[in-house]
Amino acid sequence: MPEFALAAVSALDGYSQDFDGAVLREVTDLEIVSVAVPIAGQKKLAAKIKSAYGCAVPKPTTTTQSKDGLVRLVSTQADQFLLLFDTATPDGGDKVAAQLNTAGYITDQTDNWAVLRLSGPNSRTALERICPVDLHPDVFALNASARTHMEHLGVLVIRTEADAFLLLSARSSAKSFLHAVVVSVKNVT
Amino acid sequence: MTQDFRIDGGLVDRKQTLKFSFNGRDMYGYAGDTLASALLANGQRLVARSFKYHRPRGIFSAGSEEPNALVHLGQGARLEPNTRATVTELFDGLHASSQNHRGSLEHDFMAVNDRLSQFLSAGFYYKTFMWPKSFWEKVYEPVIRASAGLGKLSMQPDPDTYDKGFLHCDILIIGAGPAGLAAALASGHAGARVILADEDFLLGGRLNSDTQSIGEQSGAHWAQDSLAELASMSNVRILRRSTVYGAFDHGIYGILERKTDHLADGGGKPRHVLWRVYSKRAILCAGATERSIAFANNDRPGIMLSGAVRSYANRWGVAAGKKVAVFTNNDSGWQTAADLSAMGISISAVIDTRDIVAPMAISGAALVMGGRIKDTRGRKALDAITLTSGLTVPVDCLAVSGGWSPNVQLTCHQRGRPQWNDAIAAFVPGGELPKGLTVAGAASGQMTLAAALKSGRKTAGQALVDLGFKYTSAPALKASDEAFSVTPFWHVSGSKRAWVDLQNDVTTKDIKQAQREGFQSVEHLKRYTTMGMATDQGKTANVLGLAVMAEATGQSIPQTGTTIFRPPYSPVALGAFGGRAVGNEFRPTRLTPSHKWATECGAVFTETGAWMRAQWFVRAGETHWRESVDREVRDTRASVGICDVSTLGKIDIQGRDAAAFLNKVYANGFARLAVGKVRYGIMLREDGLCYDDGTTARLSETHYVMTTTTANAGLVYQRLEFARQCLWPDMDVHVISVTDGWAQYAVAGPNARKLLQKIVDPEHDIATEAFGFMACGDVTVCGGTAARLFRISFSGELAYEIAVPTRYGDGLIRALMSAGREFDVTAYGVEALSVMRIEKGHPVGSELTGQTTALELGMDRMVSKTKDSIGSALSQRSELQRDDGRRLVGLIPVDTSDTLTAGAHFLDIGAAAKMENDLGWMTSVAHSPTLGHSIGLGFVKLGHIRHGDVIRAWDGVRGTDIKVEITSPHFYDPKGGLQRA
Repeated sequence: MPEFALAAVSALDGYSQDFDGAVLREVTDLEIVSVAVPIAGQKKLAAKIKSAYGCAVPKPTTTTQSKDGLVRLVSTQADQFLLLFDTATPDGGDKVAAQLNTAGYITDQTDNWAVLRLSGPNSRTALERICPVDLHPDVFALNASARTHMEHLGVLVIRTEADAFLLLSARSSAKSFLHAVVVSVKNVT
Repeated sequence: MTQDFRIDGGLVDRKQTLKFSFNGRDMYGYAGDTLASALLANGQRLVARSFKYHRPRGIFSAGSEEPNALVHLGQGARLEPNTRATVTELFDGLHASSQNHRGSLEHDFMAVNDRLSQFLSAGFYYKTFMWPKSFWEKVYEPVIRASAGLGKLSMQPDPDTYDKGFLHCDILIIGAGPAGLAAALASGHAGARVILADEDFLLGGRLNSDTQSIGEQSGAHWAQDSLAELASMSNVRILRRSTVYGAFDHGIYGILERKTDHLADGGGKPRHVLWRVYSKRAILCAGATERSIAFANNDRPGIMLSGAVRSYANRWGVAAGKKVAVFTNNDSGWQTAADLSAMGISISAVIDTRDIVAPMAISGAALVMGGRIKDTRGRKALDAITLTSGLTVPVDCLAVSGGWSPNVQLTCHQRGRPQWNDAIAAFVPGGELPKGLTVAGAASGQMTLAAALKSGRKTAGQALVDLGFKYTSAPALKASDEAFSVTPFWHVSGSKRAWVDLQNDVTTKDIKQAQREGFQSVEHLKRYTTMGMATDQGKTANVLGLAVMAEATGQSIPQTGTTIFRPPYSPVALGAFGGRAVGNEFRPTRLTPSHKWATECGAVFTETGAWMRAQWFVRAGETHWRESVDREVRDTRASVGICDVSTLGKIDIQGRDAAAFLNKVYANGFARLAVGKVRYGIMLREDGLCYDDGTTARLSETHYVMTTTTANAGLVYQRLEFARQCLWPDMDVHVISVTDGWAQYAVAGPNARKLLQKIVDPEHDIATEAFGFMACGDVTVCGGTAARLFRISFSGELAYEIAVPTRYGDGLIRALMSAGREFDVTAYGVEALSVMRIEKGHPVGSELTGQTTALELGMDRMVSKTKDSIGSALSQRSELQRDDGRRLVGLIPVDTSDTLTAGAHFLDIGAAAKMENDLGWMTSVAHSPTLGHSIGLGFVKLGHIRHGDVIRAWDGVRGTDIKVEITSPHFYDPKGGLQRA
């Protein structure tokens, strides 16, 4: 038994609040792993992704989901995408590495991000106050994603349901980001 | 006061009586009133004093063009000056007061200015206050400053909140009058995403102020039905109380939405929202603004724009006077006379400057065709007008119409220049309009109702077709196409002052004086006379002023030209531009993984960029920061100290070509860095100057992690991306930031290893034989938590940096501090960190300024001559390799009780403090608890061969002049034996 044990703490202490027509929660159990596509390795990686997850590598501004619906792949730039999945153990990078077997360059990104889930009929109205991206349902379709900025902070926004969005922003500024989202929700509800 | 001037009709809700006060007097109005309409209903004609002459002024218009009726609104911290009464929606409990007077509104001491008017003409301040010269700063300027401006600020912080936002649409329609509504209906039916924005709270534009009908309905009813229809469309968004204040690049428009100004209690919600609208097309349907005619004393309360008088009667059920005369050069003035007469208001006379047959009969009114008004009378409000014929007519209201000017402002925001249109005697949009913007209705010169409806629909149709929507033209709406004929007439000649710009007290005399003195260009005219400035931006004055100038110069108006407009269209509160970014939320804050723990431990924080870093930790009994910092340094050097260094930039670099890539971005060699080793490196800009330093660790054949300085984390990352994407796109190398992903702590001091051995799991040997200086590797800590360990030292001590995923950062600092208790471990902040790095002679941003070279920093041998890297070629330029240049040195005060100051310049003993004698400057200083005195780093000319020399550190700012000895910059353990222990 080691003398010292380390307890994991989430970026926002598990923030959770219900507003009128909007629910804002910190997502604490999401593993985030980046995969970079090697030069001349696109086909090999695509094949590995297909065999491991049963889906395609996402095109820019889109996401794809594994056959079992447990893993979401999010395009982040021309030669890079993220894998998002729930896990009970903090070994996301290893899990993906085991699946891809050097077909892509893996970096565990879980601790780089704070993740919020904003849902409900007022979620879009709230995001209007800070999100420059057009989130109209006809434009920002289900499973669409965008890298943008909100209140000077880089944000990855993903539409996961009809009225639900995942918002990923840097962990070190998570409290400022939460403040920005909460103010937006309060301002419209 | 009772509403003596309230008449039947109007669109106000008489079931909702609202109480408000003006200058402390209680008054009543109705829901749907503006402050202006309610003041008029209560017979309050005198509402303000003019800017320069402090002349009595009343309400002049019924919209955002108002030049006169500016008031203080609200009380206490919410007091807002220069608020236009004509666009202020009345609410229960509204407090308003008049401004720009000393003494009461009725008895303004400053009205003496009016008697001094001959000394206060255009440009008087350029000529009058020239002598004696010494009076300017002490007498003239303070007096002028005290007199300038209109309203007063509360001088308290703004208690309201503001917000911003982003909207997107296919078509933005600016203005919800007849053209705007027609355009919105066509666009909405076609399925386009539409935003319809209007500055008014009751949408419909002139339809609410006029009596024309559309089909079988009144215009006002048609407007409300249309709005209801639009509101039912999910693709249409209606923004009331929303001014489109600016047209920017790429179809972006700024809208100020006033959310709570009309409410007695805003409910804690933002008062204004400043929207940035991204549009594919925009249609300007902003209507037109009526202008006046200049004649002697045409500024008295009661003299108003004709269309405004009509609005007050038709929309608000208010008679602007009980005996009204009309003075016009166009048919619109007759409409006012007809409407008012039909409502039972006595029309005394209609004076038309045109020599034509009277267009209609007005019951009981004298009709004077070809008439002119020579003068007016009335001390605090109008009581009579006198015609050039000598006829004097007692009136309490004069409705003036000098024609209508299309609201072209937004078409000018990308430097579009309006063109003169003789048919309507006005400027219409011209030149290059903002991309994607088209204009409809009166704003485009379509001055009648039927024409406005038709052009609104047609313009929308074109936009829809452009955007690929199916547009089916519908039968034209039947509307009365009212008479609109105008014969330009600008001013009645005479010797008395005739006002052109009411807000700035600019008269025809001022314009003629500007012409005589050579300020004939419209741009000069504007600046010399101040015509067209301030809150109304000359909406009622500009064209009239240009016309007077044209006449004075003998040119046509098109030859005279026009000034153009820039945003904002109407005033925007500064708070709205700031939005929510106030106070602590001015910008985001980044917190380190140990922030919570540090707060509990009495850390004093400092801002490092966006980061909040522990500066030092105050222990019981410490009363001065130096006590804390000195202790932290001493204890670290004596045993062990811990510092959160997570703020350093951390970049994960992977790829088959990662080694070759690093060898190109660092000036020193990285190609042969072994797996499990760390190397210090410097980076050069393309021009050969140093811009950052840091370490890079090789974790595997294809995997590295780079650290950068905190300040340059973003810049280095950006440059790496540029290098891999643009310079060497064929290299297989990939970078991603992991700065936030790892909590990293420096553990430094002779007992660092012993402490870490209690934390790092025993299967990992970190003894110096197995894990020597500059080693790195994956380890586990505290029973299996993955971690990375680097044996690097910034303090000069035996030191490590240990990193765990950020979620464990709080846990790790607590574990390290607990484990270190037996060694009297100390936490140290960035101040002690800085002291120790100065003692060690490590450069940071003060030395690595981006303007210093490797040679100056004493690192020239690090710039490899055997390989090509960014900046290496240009670093060899002769100027950058001068033997007689500056070098980084250490400085010690000769009298060790002296305190050195950063920024001091170096001079030889006896040399005068002149630029030609400047030897360099002090970059960093600290009190060294290790050495017991002040030490410094600095750049000294030929410093590398002057060790031991005594020079002066001269600080002209702080008034010190200290003798210092030049030394090596490495004060502490210069051979580095401790860090290798």
